[in-house]
Amino acid sequence: MPFVRRYKDLGTDLDALYMDIISELQQEKDLEIGKETEGIINGVGFKSVTAMRASLPRAVTGTLREVSVTIAGEPDDWLLELHTGSWFGNMILPGAGGFLIAGPVGTAAAAGTTGLMAAQYSRKLKNKIKELVKKHSGKPYTADKVETFID
Amino acid sequence: MPFVRKYKDMNTNLEALYKDITKELQNEKELNIGKELKGEINGVPFMSATAYRSSIPKLVTGTLREVTVTITGTSNDYLIEMHTGEWFSNLAMPYFGASILVGPLAGLAAAGTTGLMAAQYGRKLKNTIKDLVKKHSKADYSDEKVETLI
Repeated sequence: MPFVRRYKDLGTDLDALYMDIISELQQEKDLEIGKETEGIINGVGFKSVTAMRASLPRAVTGTLREVSVTIAGEPDDWLLELHTGSWFGNMILPGAGGFLIAGPVGTAAAAGTTGLMAAQYSRKLKNKIKELVKKHSGKPYTADKVETFID
Repeated sequence: MPFVRKYKDMNTNLEALYKDITKELQNEKELNIGKELKGEINGVPFMSATAYRSSIPKLVTGTLREVTVTITGTSNDYLIEMHTGEWFSNLAMPYFGASILVGPLAGLAAAGTTGLMAAQYGRKLKNTIKDLVKKHSKADYSDEKVETLI
């Protein structure tokens, strides 16, 4: 699920924020940075990084496959998008504890209780990004300066 | 949006199917294969390829950012998952041609009519995968052998 938030009037150093987000992704041993895209689109600064799972997971369903973080805008008006992708994320029937699928592929889709799960990592990264936004903003962080579009 | 389909009793050569799918990803000039994972998970073969957009897009909203295709299972019982990721996909209001963003950011949310759009590419790739499944399966392709889960 993507998460998109808009930040206004924070005077944020977007380059420093982006670098710290990359460092955060690099600290996760199960991830490797796969692609960075930086430039200007329609006159607006744009930076995007995607990190991929580095190795084969032990279980598939819900395991973190990739993370993308994108920052676009200028210090006083910018957007952040966080996307975490997981394999076969919706294959487990919620609440029922059963699989939608049987046979050999049922085993492949077995839910992992260990490992790097997408939902868990996304929550952790969202909180970390909030701290980093505060760290790299020249003005106080208040709720009225932040609008969440998609969560 | 992910797309997951289950195939049964098709007797498909999954290695050959996977190779042809990665070739298809490589044929798209805006994409580069960034990561491949192959092996067994819980005793079941697993193959996954991810391709990224290779350059900065002209427009953002809805533009293809990455594609992942995963095949897991055995030749007579397997799943294919296709994920196409896009930037800021829901920031342009459909049907109104308007953006929920104003100011400098509005330019980012302009709906693209050119470029490699995720929805368009996803549709094309789904159709290609269907052709490739037929090509690499010994049994006839029929609706009752295929179930779209997501």
